[in-house]
Amino acid sequence: MTTALFYLWQMSVRNRLVTRFKRLRQPKYLAGAIVGGLYFYFYFFRWMFLPHGSGHGPTPEASTPLDPTLRESIGALILFGIVLLAWIVPRKRAALAFTEAEIAFLFPAPISRSGLVHFKLLRSQASILFMAIFFALVSRGFRGDGRCLVFAAGWWIVLSTLNLHLLGASFVRTMLLDRGISHWMHRLFVIGLALAAFGAAAAWTVHSLPPLTDADLTGRSAIEQYLRQALVSGPLPYVLFPFRLVVRPYLAATGIAFLHALGPAALLLVAHYWWVIRSDVAFAEASLEASQKLAEKVAAVRAGNWQNANQQHKVKRPPFTLRPVGWPAVALLWKNLIAAGQGFTARLWIILLVSLTAMAVAMRGVLADGNWLAVAGMFTLAVGIWALLIGPQIVRQDFRQDLPQADVLKALPLRGWQVALGEILAPIVILTAIHWLLLTLAVVCLSLAQSLGKWNGLVWPIGIGTAMILPALNAISLLIPNAAVLLFPSWFQLGRDATQGIEATGQRLIFALGQFLAFAIALLPAALVFTLVLFAVKSFAGLALAVPAASAATAIVLAVEAGLGVLLLGWLFERFDVSAEQSP
Amino acid sequence: MIQVEALTKLYGDFVAVNQLTFSVQPGEVLGLVGPNGAGKTTTLRCLAGIIPPTRGTVRVGGYDLARDPIAAKKQLAFMTDEPRLFDYLTVGQHLNFVARIYQVVNWEEIATPLLEELEIADKRDKLPGELSRGMKQKLAIACGLLHSPRVIYFDEPLTGLDPLGIRRMKDSILKRARDGAAIILSSHLMHLVEQICSHILILKRGGKVIDGSIAEIRNRFSQESADNDLEEVFLRATAEPPPAPPVVTPPPPA
Repeated sequence: MTTALFYLWQMSVRNRLVTRFKRLRQPKYLAGAIVGGLYFYFYFFRWMFLPHGSGHGPTPEASTPLDPTLRESIGALILFGIVLLAWIVPRKRAALAFTEAEIAFLFPAPISRSGLVHFKLLRSQASILFMAIFFALVSRGFRGDGRCLVFAAGWWIVLSTLNLHLLGASFVRTMLLDRGISHWMHRLFVIGLALAAFGAAAAWTVHSLPPLTDADLTGRSAIEQYLRQALVSGPLPYVLFPFRLVVRPYLAATGIAFLHALGPAALLLVAHYWWVIRSDVAFAEASLEASQKLAEKVAAVRAGNWQNANQQHKVKRPPFTLRPVGWPAVALLWKNLIAAGQGFTARLWIILLVSLTAMAVAMRGVLADGNWLAVAGMFTLAVGIWALLIGPQIVRQDFRQDLPQADVLKALPLRGWQVALGEILAPIVILTAIHWLLLTLAVVCLSLAQSLGKWNGLVWPIGIGTAMILPALNAISLLIPNAAVLLFPSWFQLGRDATQGIEATGQRLIFALGQFLAFAIALLPAALVFTLVLFAVKSFAGLALAVPAASAATAIVLAVEAGLGVLLLGWLFERFDVSAEQSP
Repeated sequence: MIQVEALTKLYGDFVAVNQLTFSVQPGEVLGLVGPNGAGKTTTLRCLAGIIPPTRGTVRVGGYDLARDPIAAKKQLAFMTDEPRLFDYLTVGQHLNFVARIYQVVNWEEIATPLLEELEIADKRDKLPGELSRGMKQKLAIACGLLHSPRVIYFDEPLTGLDPLGIRRMKDSILKRARDGAAIILSSHLMHLVEQICSHILILKRGGKVIDGSIAEIRNRFSQESADNDLEEVFLRATAEPPPAPPVVTPPPPA
């Protein structure tokens, strides 16, 4: 039976690779693979062709690396934290994430429970191996002396042990549930135990350490010294001992040290394997549920709906009452605003608030004069510029979301340009609202701060001018990716044949560059008009009037461009052949 | 009401639909049948304006679908075999959206009895993710019928419905036909076609094998036997010629 499962895994991997090689016959994948390959080569591998010792890859070690003991302690501490969270956070029963096909074929088959667990472990090895190599390259870079393999092996031990531990922990949680011990009871127990252990350890450590003084925080080496002392004092070395064993092979400085560290780590790995295989827990039902969720998630991702892949949809109140009569394309705006509402959760607002506060405080520390209003104004402006560049990639309630439903859109009694406008209106409205809000905040703060010297009088004119330009600018920046989706739908994460791997990386790089170029070209006429009007008006009315006047002219140029873009987008949508793109 | 002239759809060299010509009058229910890959769904998608035909014309309610797509599309509804719904709109919001697109002024007066007829009135505030497969199908049907279309296409309409739902769906299709709608129904279920279709069109490899009223087709294919079963008629109409008998080489003499 095990051989049949191994055959399934082996053939799946082989066929996936063959399919990916075969599709390189299509130019879009070949181009993506070439660009992606070049990117990976220059980022990771070019060092191997350079003279020995001339480079260490993308992230060479710091000139003054951390003390090995401290690094090991910190690594062990991080691993300990992950393991602790694995015991506290998850709420669900043990579930092995099988695909729906695997559930259909394997669960009714005469395969033992341990056979299924073995299959799952074997399958997870593919991703663990990939991650180990990737992490080794990212964390240490490629080295021609073969140490990269040692790092990858070290990462493999860490990830494999962690994978087995998470699985074992989920089995134990399920076992406790089956015995009537609820999630909250076991969480309270684990948290209580952890707090008690931490309290005792902290007390012991503090007792055995000299008290913290200002001198201990005077520089990196002093902080390192104190941390090293803290992590090797009291009971912490004993608590962190098993975790040190796991991370030690990765951190080994030499091949010999790696071999020395390998034995205990391998022993722990085997112990974990034995624990998982011996655990007698029913996971079939939860796995069934997990596989359905996995299938939904995969379908969402393959439909280009990355943002919604991890979230359960909730009923959202419509942004306004949609009357049955009126311009039909408004229905698309209404629909997409409801969709966008899924993303604006309480969690998002909390994260934003905390991040913005933290960044503002950090910026205050950077500026010596401590002018809060100026800091807030500049910070808001920086966030606004960032939102202008990144916003169109984040707010995707347009064709990028709806193209998998293209046949529904095609059947609507609307002209192509009406569908196109209706589709991009929601992100335009959302982004413009955000930008206007940030701009207002920035202008108010900067005008009150009066810290810009001779530019103080121009804060409001520039603010008003920017506000005029923003809607059309957002429209253009959204038209470009939407046109790209309609022109090259299969280059995006749409449909069943979603691209993965090195080709996908290359395709994204090509598109990022293409979109940047298209945006720059679209802005050229507007920039020209702005300059001409600015200098013309400035000569007789001054800069304070010239800026809004030039902005108004620019806004008109951009609006005309956006209007033409919508017509083009509509034409592309009318020509878009759903069957050609959806055929396998 | 539906007039199709020489409809052809090519995918590269592959002919999905080949020179299809037929018409459906108000009150008629045309059963579009054929083996897998015959081109039924492609035909329906061309007739709904979802995919452009390579050649030929389609007129819906007198409007040319290529030249006047808006007017033509306002007349029709297309119910796909797999309900295509928006994950983030509730049942009620789906209907509100459709009402605005088709400018259905009194949509709420139509929606309430429609949802009751389809037995999903109590799901008005639910998202598609909270509905069963059959309920999703019913919601897609409610969306399609909200604007009282004069032309309706059904692609495998009974998929996912329970027995009561199947009964109600059949009644609903017949009611719409009696009210003057022209209906095309694609299905593999020959007993469904037999029960509710007035005409059938049999497709094979994208081409028309035969079309006409059920009675005409029965008569044509049952001349040599007394068997009037539509399933048998379908099998005969789409049968491949019998394979040539294998050539048996006599063993050499010992």
